[in-house]
Amino acid sequence: MSTALLEMTGVRKRYGGVQALDGASLTAVRGEVHALLGPNGSGKSTLDKTLAGTVVPDSGEIRIDGAVARIGGPRDAHALGVAAVYQQLSIVGDLTVTQNVVLGLEPARRWGFLDHRAARDRAGAALERFAAAFSGRLPLDRPAGSLGPGELQIVEVAKALARGPRILVLDEATASLHKEQVEVLFEVVGELRAAGVLVLFTSHRLDEVFALCDRATVLRNGRTAGTVELADTDEAELVGLMVGDVPHRAPRRAPATTGAPAPTEAFVGAGPEARPGAEAEAEAVPGAEARAGAEARPGAEAVPGARLEVRGLTTERLRDVGFTARAGEVLGLGGLQGQGQSELLLALFGAARVSAGEALLDGRPLPLTSPVRAARAGVALVPGDRGRQGMFATRPIQENLSLASMRRRARAGLALGAAAERSAARSMVERLRIKLGSLADPVSTLSGGNQQKVVIGKWLLDRPRVVLLDDPTKGVDVAAKEEIYAIVRGLADDGAVVILNSSDNRELAELSDRVLVLFEGAVVEELSGAAITEGRLVAGALRLAPGESL
Amino acid sequence: MNVPARLRDLRWAGVQLSGVATVAMLVVAVAVNTALQPNFWGGYALTSNFATFVPLVAIAIGQTVVVLSGGLDLSLGAQVTLASVVAVQVVDGRLDRLPLAAAAALGVGMACGALNGLVVALLRLQPIVATFATSFVFSGLALVVLPTPGGSVPIEVTTAYRDSVLGVPVALLAIVGLALLWRVLRGHRVLRHVYAVGGDAEAAYASLVPVTRTRVWAYVLGGLFAALSALAVLANTGSGDPFVGNELTLASVAAVVLGGTALAGGRGGAGGSILGAMVLALVTNIVFFADVPTTYRQLVNGAVIILALALAGIPALQKRRPAA
Ligand SMILES: Nc1ncnc2c1ncn2[C@@H]1O[C@H](COP(=O)(O)OP(=O)(O)OP(=O)(O)O)[C@@H](O)[C@H]1O
Ligand SMILES: [Mg+2]
Repeated sequence: MSTALLEMTGVRKRYGGVQALDGASLTAVRGEVHALLGPNGSGKSTLDKTLAGTVVPDSGEIRIDGAVARIGGPRDAHALGVAAVYQQLSIVGDLTVTQNVVLGLEPARRWGFLDHRAARDRAGAALERFAAAFSGRLPLDRPAGSLGPGELQIVEVAKALARGPRILVLDEATASLHKEQVEVLFEVVGELRAAGVLVLFTSHRLDEVFALCDRATVLRNGRTAGTVELADTDEAELVGLMVGDVPHRAPRRAPATTGAPAPTEAFVGAGPEARPGAEAEAEAVPGAEARAGAEARPGAEAVPGARLEVRGLTTERLRDVGFTARAGEVLGLGGLQGQGQSELLLALFGAARVSAGEALLDGRPLPLTSPVRAARAGVALVPGDRGRQGMFATRPIQENLSLASMRRRARAGLALGAAAERSAARSMVERLRIKLGSLADPVSTLSGGNQQKVVIGKWLLDRPRVVLLDDPTKGVDVAAKEEIYAIVRGLADDGAVVILNSSDNRELAELSDRVLVLFEGAVVEELSGAAITEGRLVAGALRLAPGESL
Repeated sequence: MNVPARLRDLRWAGVQLSGVATVAMLVVAVAVNTALQPNFWGGYALTSNFATFVPLVAIAIGQTVVVLSGGLDLSLGAQVTLASVVAVQVVDGRLDRLPLAAAAALGVGMACGALNGLVVALLRLQPIVATFATSFVFSGLALVVLPTPGGSVPIEVTTAYRDSVLGVPVALLAIVGLALLWRVLRGHRVLRHVYAVGGDAEAAYASLVPVTRTRVWAYVLGGLFAALSALAVLANTGSGDPFVGNELTLASVAAVVLGGTALAGGRGGAGGSILGAMVLALVTNIVFFADVPTTYRQLVNGAVIILALALAGIPALQKRRPAA
């Protein structure tokens, strides 16, 4: 324990106008789980990548076991025992799961000819622990591109584990995982720690950080703000370290003062009360506030009957799902990972093959046949897989922010000038604190959390009637999460039906008025009001009777 | 299942569909040929048809490897030319020089490929531009080696090439051999890395794949198949021609696309390209036997290629992830 296994000092990296790392440092020892924290865009992933070799820093020093490590590429890092789970994943969609797990280190016979059986065995062994996420059957021979975000994440983790690292980087490895898979991962990390491996762990879910990590280093604007022992630190202190001495933002100004055009009106409802600061958030009873807000909503009760009515919806993965939602209601989807939650959202967005059932929006049938028609009817989807579905990675940020709403406005015959378009995008950037160099940069240059904010911002500018959110805040930092929650509540206050799938039970509890628990594609339980607690959600997912405890 | 998965499914279906489409086109082409060409199924016509297929099949496999890696090689035809004229000068009509000539052709092809690979992977020039430029170098060299058509291939070679073994044309065996060579390569780490780099170069790099080296290898293998194509050309024609490869480049790209390999890289295989090459060759046959006036032949050929590309290429060209 005496000497550090990993010492990074004065690491700098500049991208065009953005100083991603500005002299960051980090010291960690063998057998430690070390959290690397900070707001979106603070440089966590970049620091991880300098260690893993995919980014070469402009300056700075990395020492491993006291010796200066020259890391010029991923292969150098591998030789030093570093393996990384990347936030943006390093999976090739056209290769199979097995091929991905062994990629770059394929077992071979003589002269480089591949040993397929050894490869399958290795991949199977690496994925074994996580078998539950695939309903027990490992998709070893399926193309990775056909997997869902949570499954892909697990393949990425298995791939890093299969490299037998002594330093393992986990960059938001839990962001698309449900609780039960997070627990498996924690078990594995515990074993690695016991075996003397150093694990660098990044997550925006602070409860995970406290549950798993020994110490935490906090980055702010590319600089190390401090390292703390987590046993002596509480959540509020940690958040304070992340956001800095600057106290939380002043109460929000009325949107009118931003000079933004129409779209911001959608958010007025969310405006008046300032979101509780970080300290308050730490103590807040999850969910209580959201429901209090719901009760107070004038619109919700006034609209007679249901706004959205779903009957007997059946697809390949859904069995006879029916529910009704009132205007202004936030409906959560709970349950274990992959029980049909994403499929339900897709079905309502016209992107799943519906074999039976129907949906009515304001009494009129909602077309379930194509996303274009669904969008035209006022349905918006924030997909769970931003990388492939949510954005046009190589197009400018501004264009991505305005794509969805531009279409709506064009339809209304309100072709907006470039200036107005820009100011709408800019106000969204400001609200969500999207950290960027310029609106003209491609989205792919943003940090993971900031990309997610663009995906959300794009749809929320669109003022939809039904908002389908699939894990909307994954990888988003604490402050921006609050902002997104406020926007979601604002949309609901405006009368939209919000349907939320989240891998984070805390988020479900905080936002939902009602939660449908899904199991194997069917609704098996409904929780509402005070019954929505994290504990009940977990019990519901595991299908424990109300009395049973964990 | 999520949206991308669904799109993916469609996409896989797309590749398969284009596989089906390739086979369908082959069937149609064979049917039309049967109607137009006297004795299409007769021994002589069959043998000479397969004899003309082999050069295109070989170069199409080479182009497939390059395209799978995310590149494109517009110099493959010129490589065929250069390798064939070098080989014909070396062999000089003497059977005992045959192994030497074959080795020279292979060496030339792989050297050309290595040059392309280094220019593309190290200097990071656009593959289209880089290989278009090197194609002039290779064509120019070919003219230096053999200024006018000439030279001779041992008669034993040309005879054997048009012979058949137990009723199976030797040229067909050559195609089977090329397909087997592809299968062997597919089992090798380099080809796996070619697929990975073409599919997602950034992810491959992060996964410890030697991206630069893999790209170079792809062009070297392309050159190897160009050289095999050159040997087939010589065996088929019996003499050297410093312009012989000109039309093969476009045809190789067309065969690859007809075969369902995505031009964006990472997806597809040589099996489809082989069928695609046969379709193209049969179309040329059709144009010939349909008595299209000579002046229009090239025009019709080109139009058919474009039509086929449009039909077959649409599903294969779709690729969500922008190339890294
Ligand atoms: N390839 C790139 N090109 C341009 N800018 C980049 C690039 N990669 C990162 N950046 C910028 O560097 C900064 C730090 O990004 P980084 O991904 O390290 O943040 P992060 O702390 O991981 O954030 P998050 O919590 O959102 O994942 C961001 O402002 C980002 O826009
Ligand atoms: Mg990050």
